[in-house]
Amino acid sequence: MSKRSKNAAVSAQPKKPLGQRIKKDLKKNYMLYLLLIPGIIILILFKLGPLGGMVIAFEDFSAFQGVFGSKWVGLENFKRVFTDPYMLTLVKNTVILAVLSIVVVFPIPILFSLFLNEVRVKKIKDGVQILSFLPYFISSAVMVSILYTLVSPSYGLINSIIEFFGGDPIYFMAEPKWFRPLYIILQIWQTFGYSSIIYLAGITSIDQSLYEAAEVDGANRWQKMFRITLPQISSSIVIMLIISIGNIFSVDLDRILLMYNPSVYETADVIQSYVYRIAFESAGFPDYSYGTAVNILKSLIAFALVIIANKLAAKYSETRLF
Amino acid sequence: MKKKVKLFDIVNNTILILIALLCVYPFIYIFFIACSDGTYLARGEVTFFPKGFNLEAFKYVLSNDDLNVFGGLMNSFIYTIAGTIVAIVGTYITAYALSRPQLKQRYVIMGLFTITWVFEAGIIPQYIIYSACGFVDNPLVMIIPSMINTQFLIICKTYLEGIPGELEEAATVDGANQFQILSKVYMPLSKPILATIGTFYAVQIWNQYLVPQMYLKSDKYQTIQQVLKRVVIVSGDASTAFRNVVQNDVLLNQQNLKSAAIFVAMVPIICVYPFVQKYFKKGILLGSVKG
Repeated sequence: MSKRSKNAAVSAQPKKPLGQRIKKDLKKNYMLYLLLIPGIIILILFKLGPLGGMVIAFEDFSAFQGVFGSKWVGLENFKRVFTDPYMLTLVKNTVILAVLSIVVVFPIPILFSLFLNEVRVKKIKDGVQILSFLPYFISSAVMVSILYTLVSPSYGLINSIIEFFGGDPIYFMAEPKWFRPLYIILQIWQTFGYSSIIYLAGITSIDQSLYEAAEVDGANRWQKMFRITLPQISSSIVIMLIISIGNIFSVDLDRILLMYNPSVYETADVIQSYVYRIAFESAGFPDYSYGTAVNILKSLIAFALVIIANKLAAKYSETRLF
Repeated sequence: MKKKVKLFDIVNNTILILIALLCVYPFIYIFFIACSDGTYLARGEVTFFPKGFNLEAFKYVLSNDDLNVFGGLMNSFIYTIAGTIVAIVGTYITAYALSRPQLKQRYVIMGLFTITWVFEAGIIPQYIIYSACGFVDNPLVMIIPSMINTQFLIICKTYLEGIPGELEEAATVDGANQFQILSKVYMPLSKPILATIGTFYAVQIWNQYLVPQMYLKSDKYQTIQQVLKRVVIVSGDASTAFRNVVQNDVLLNQQNLKSAAIFVAMVPIICVYPFVQKYFKKGILLGSVKG
């Protein structure tokens, strides 16, 4: 109470000159500013710096002349993106992977959490949950290495089973048609347990009286699952769907870089892996400006998708992301 | 009616348990392959359980300098431990300062952090800036630039704002300064959140592949994830890195050795997982609230 009146008294006084006020603020809060120093350095150098570095998309960047010294070429690099015939393949691969991951991967954790919620034995419920989200914390390098081991044509378990049934071994990692299924299987394995945690948390906050009322009306278990539980977590589902749509163009680059090889580029090469190769695996001087231009266009489309998805979500439900 | 309900439970529980086991079986399978005798592997006699149990493959991959598995593991351990400590301290003090109402500029700073979270610059501008700062082939790249993750910063700041301000007022009356308030009042109350973000930072640093692959080119700085890529994935089936070796009368073939390398790369995560999974779960929920 006394503090508030003191503050009021202070602000009622005419404002002192800026210099004096800064001095006073510094004297009072210098410890807080000291604490902020590392954060500010990180923010400016490593977070805002790269954002500013995006101007090289409008330059003919050369590492010798630097960001400020390179020649300004305006939208030249962006024009090149639109005339690059390979972009079509890249966009197609990126979109197909994204659509597959929404259509195939997205519903799995929802179903999984609906059924897991029906488990009445707490030990089984907890155990299944803990085991199912373990793969999320295993690195992509390990996951892809395991995949290689399992599908190896000379000794892998999968090919042993195929041969046992009289089939011929399949060179899974070298055949373009197998890239997408394997990528999606890895994604399911790595993420479904993780995503289901969010849905299960939503389920635990459902009002229990809804189920009691349904029981009185003679609803069976399936009806309770799909008529009460599912609609009650629809807002979580919408949020997760918006996030997935927003992430359409952000494929798991680690996984792709580890999984792909030149023989499967026709289905596996996506925008980001192409940008990575421009920067780090091209012969001669890497074309940083072109790679950045490609990436900026990708981000713009992705951003537009989030806005559209958010608008749609706001229209069809109460939920909005922001 | 009652019988039908029971049947549902049995079928449902069984299927879910099978799914859970299927999730972790590949990890166990890798271990079984690594500790089987290469002779049985070559004959295709190892299917679901190890045969001719031995640990020679682990000894071989950890002691062979050409493979660099041990070196990679050590590097990853150092980066993870140092990086996690730096990240916890960096994130926490930044979150603390930004949670203080007397700091007028905090909205601007927080806004800038959020902008860099929503708009990512992409790997090329990042590479140009980082290399200008001298991070190419410098192990500090694993520790310094990633020390503040915006999402964890927001989580931490929200948590600190939830601590009642009266505690700070009382400490100020007793003559404590901001450093003392931070370390004596807020730190002890923040243990759960620090444990949560700490485990996430640790897993992130241990697992990341892209950053070390972009910046750490010398063998002596490589992480275990890069080593895996080289010895298991790139070498493919026509590997010259792995020939059959006989060690202590046990035949080891490339399948043994690769599996052993994969297993040692994931064993630290598997070992700490039972103890920290509750923090993982908490972190996932906190993260999801903020999108």
